[in-house]
Amino acid sequence: MREVGIEVDNVTVTYNGKVALHGANLLLASGSIGGLVGMNGSGKSTLFKSIMGFVKPTTGRVLINGMPIRLVQKKNMVAYVPQSEEVDWNFPVSVWDVVMMGRYGYMNVLRIPSPVDRRIVAESLDRVQMSEFQNRQIGELSGGQKKRTFLARALAQQATVMLLDEPFTGVDVKTEKTMIELLIELRELGHTILISTHDLASVATFCDQVVLINRTILAYGPTGEVFTEENLTRTFGGRLSGFALSQQLIKPSPEENM
Amino acid sequence: MDTASIWQWFVAPLQYEFMVKAIAVSALVGLVCSVLSCYMTLKGWALMGDAVSHAVMPGVVLAYILKIPFAIGAFVFGVSSVLAIGFIKSKTRIKEDTVIGLVFTGFFAFGLVLISKTPSSVDLTHILFGNVLGISNQDIIQTVLIAAITLVTILVLRKDLLLFCFDPTHARSIGLNTVALYYILLSVLSLTIVAALQTVGIILVVAMLVTPGATAYLLTDRFDHMMLIAAASGVFSSVMGTYISYHIDGATGGCIVVLQTLIFVGTMIFAPKHGLLVRARRKQAASS
Repeated sequence: MREVGIEVDNVTVTYNGKVALHGANLLLASGSIGGLVGMNGSGKSTLFKSIMGFVKPTTGRVLINGMPIRLVQKKNMVAYVPQSEEVDWNFPVSVWDVVMMGRYGYMNVLRIPSPVDRRIVAESLDRVQMSEFQNRQIGELSGGQKKRTFLARALAQQATVMLLDEPFTGVDVKTEKTMIELLIELRELGHTILISTHDLASVATFCDQVVLINRTILAYGPTGEVFTEENLTRTFGGRLSGFALSQQLIKPSPEENM
Repeated sequence: MDTASIWQWFVAPLQYEFMVKAIAVSALVGLVCSVLSCYMTLKGWALMGDAVSHAVMPGVVLAYILKIPFAIGAFVFGVSSVLAIGFIKSKTRIKEDTVIGLVFTGFFAFGLVLISKTPSSVDLTHILFGNVLGISNQDIIQTVLIAAITLVTILVLRKDLLLFCFDPTHARSIGLNTVALYYILLSVLSLTIVAALQTVGIILVVAMLVTPGATAYLLTDRFDHMMLIAAASGVFSSVMGTYISYHIDGATGGCIVVLQTLIFVGTMIFAPKHGLLVRARRKQAASS
């Protein structure tokens, strides 16, 4: 069996007495892409936070490549690509500055980049075809370019696990395609990638596994096995009435397709 | 005005030792405040600065009563106001801006009561509006020390603090201690306020902590440039403000802050990229 990239073992997280995630279990192999599907408030961001080690589970544990979170953080192993709404796009930083932030964990306290850091940043930018925009202030970028900038930061961080929060929201079709190609390339290199999304159709096309979440992880596994009517009803609490199951692909049914 | 009278305008005040001291201290305070103001602007901490500056009041009075350096008293109360804000916010359902408003006025009111019951020479107007023209040598030493600590801390941690303002999630995920950074930024804020008290006083210190950063933010998209521009405008308005206050015989703190505000207004209108005029022109061009 392949090495496990993300292991979530019976994790329960409570905030002020309220249970946000209950007894969640997940195994995601290294070199695979998981699509995390659930509604708002279903615990997606809580799961991300526990994988990044921001919340301490009341029960259970999370291991990354078999290692505990504290060690993982020291080794810069988990990269997080934020949702666009989380970023202050007026902030006075350039594309280059943002990608360089991916290298901070490798620098001394003054964060002075070495030639190696510069080379890796340049390569990461090149990889997402953003080199020509490296001096732009981040607010001057298009939606797709913004995403690629943060993806480049994750590359520069040389993380083995990447968490992407709604990466395809507000992105044109062409950018989505290049991003997916890049993610598939990273998977071949052994990266473990977890993507939160509510776009069921795209999940089915390139994710190896889907992870259904609603306060706990309801099911995970290959798309065909997990996308059953019963699982989806439990995930969306019966709100999926507008969607129809066709073979293994989920598509919006014509009357809901605006 | 001819050259000779301009020369006189600058040189005449320098024959007085108190003016030389005042200009030097104002410049130093202007520098420290401006550098920090870049972070305050980007983090959206203006209200926090206002809160801490008011909350130091009882600390200053108590320090006078106990005959300890006023910086210590002010620092203790500045930090504890922030701790109180954090505590109330996390333990109750009250929103943050309400908590801030509640805590700092409470501290400030306590300071007022203390002053009114203290028979000593504590002068309320000096605390409220500063008294840089009458600054003592001992206070100058205090200010220089605080300024040095603050500047060194910010310069060493400037990239970490920037990342903390920009993307705390990423900062945490690569193992930076964001809780420590939060408290470092707060301590630096409290210290800077203490240093600025003598120059502009409690009421106006928040202007020093916001305006230079906001001005610079409209002029550049680079953080390094932002710091330099903020520092330049902060030091310039501190020095010129002190000069102007001498010549018109007006309140020093007031002159400094009015000058800063005028620079901001000018920048807001004429800034080459983010100014109102350019924006209006751009909008017009887009619609025609």
